[in-house]
Amino acid sequence: MTPVGELGTFQDAFAAALAERTAAPIAGWLPEGETDPAGLAVYRNTIAKGCIDALAANFPTVASLVGDDWFGAAAALFARGNPPKSAALLAYGAGFPDWLARFPPADDLPYLPAMARMDGMWTTALFAPEGRPLAAEAFALEPQALAAARPRLHPSLAFAWFDSGLPGLWLAAREPQPGEMELAEDPQGVLIVRPHEAVTARLLDRAGHAFLAAAETDATLGEAITAAAEADPAADLPALFAALIADGVFVGLDPGDPA
Amino acid sequence: MSPTAGLGLKPQHYDDALAADAEGLWFEVHPENYMAAGGPRLRRLEAIRETRPLSLHGVGLSLAADADPDLGHLLALKALADRFEPFVMSEHLAWSAWRGVHQPDLLPFPRTRAALDRIAANIGRTQDVLGRTILVENPSLYLPLTGHELDETDFLVALTRRTGCGLLVDVNNVFVSASNLGYAAETYLDALPAEAIGEIHLAGHGVDANEARSGSSLLIDTHGAPVAEPVWALYRRLIDRVGPRPTLIERDDNIPAFDVLMAERDRAHGLLQRTLMGTGACASPQSRPEPVGDDARG
Repeated sequence: MTPVGELGTFQDAFAAALAERTAAPIAGWLPEGETDPAGLAVYRNTIAKGCIDALAANFPTVASLVGDDWFGAAAALFARGNPPKSAALLAYGAGFPDWLARFPPADDLPYLPAMARMDGMWTTALFAPEGRPLAAEAFALEPQALAAARPRLHPSLAFAWFDSGLPGLWLAAREPQPGEMELAEDPQGVLIVRPHEAVTARLLDRAGHAFLAAAETDATLGEAITAAAEADPAADLPALFAALIADGVFVGLDPGDPA
Repeated sequence: MSPTAGLGLKPQHYDDALAADAEGLWFEVHPENYMAAGGPRLRRLEAIRETRPLSLHGVGLSLAADADPDLGHLLALKALADRFEPFVMSEHLAWSAWRGVHQPDLLPFPRTRAALDRIAANIGRTQDVLGRTILVENPSLYLPLTGHELDETDFLVALTRRTGCGLLVDVNNVFVSASNLGYAAETYLDALPAEAIGEIHLAGHGVDANEARSGSSLLIDTHGAPVAEPVWALYRRLIDRVGPRPTLIERDDNIPAFDVLMAERDRAHGLLQRTLMGTGACASPQSRPEPVGDDARG
């Protein structure tokens, strides 16, 4: 433990008073007879509200699905065990999806951790570095040159595959006026990217996911297309590729080695 | 430029802020909300900065911790300062970070001479990295801590003398702390030297929601209501004495329409103009003229 001065000794005591929900640790700094000052709860409540508000901002779909009361109670519990480590709360709650998966009151909401995971992907994309998507013309190369080229993906791009229709449920829940929501049995993927000003999200099919998973590991376009075809032999590969270009997924195209 | 009134900028008001045509209007943001690699929030702030002066008001540097300011956080602040060229930067006389945990609040401490040494060093370090002086804001207090060796005003004045920093006087915090801890807000404000004051904050407060249960009569600095009339009165008294200073209307909760906040901002602006013109009809008896336009810190 780092040696601390009297200010640090007070901070240790105050942190303990906040965590243990009793004024006992700071008794030495309180007037005689003042054993339960109301002010300590003010600090505790403000800290809890700061954490809850940050989590609600970063996980808005979860918050809207469960309602303010449930979310506030869950977020407060999460924050007590997982306090922020940085003053910038834009990325706070990276562990929230996994925590929800182990949170007993969420047992009858089995879709919730996936909703939180996709909210986290969306929030991360919102604050990711800028990137300028390539226009379709950039891909007007000879077929061999195109197949050998390696695409660079947008820094805000996030995608994931799920064993069921959770991405569709998440997209529906994000609608301003969510209608009837159903969980489809079929596996689905999700693609999230911020090509320009706004974050966009859409469903991703098996071939599209295989393409991006390959491209992410520095594959050539030819290798990525092959991966897509193997994942779904019936896939419309030209349409898949055109859609990804239109999504703004690609920011660069490095020429391949001359064959 | 003579000191004018500004408004805390909220994301839901970006479009209104861009379109606003009020003379002298400036905006203030918490830099922590813009510590991102990219994204629309930064772009919107850039667009607003093209037409308006900006103040960066930090809530996360934790100057009153018994530890050096976090270098990563300082460098992120510096990057935002380089990018947005704020006319003023400020922080709080409080701590939030300790042993790797960041509590999103402004926490108190016993104002000892040892604390003064540590905090002066932390302000010095901050100003060295930023390459500029900062303003330090008085906190709202909720606990009757013992063990203070200096009054808060003496503590703040000592910090300005040791580090060259200025003061951001939050009049609502003075009102809230004075009510909670039982001292006179007027006496507190009168003890602050005019030449050290670089900015003034005005905000609303509320009554402790736990009052019924705990018997608490605490006021809470919620930033969730209009500026209260007694706080306006203290503000007039302050600027009558020290002269006009850049003044901010802060609202962080129960955020109303932009125009509602602008009405409060315009009220502060009108009081500043009146003070500037030397027509302070309601000047308190002990008010005395100060050199106006002493906004060199800004």
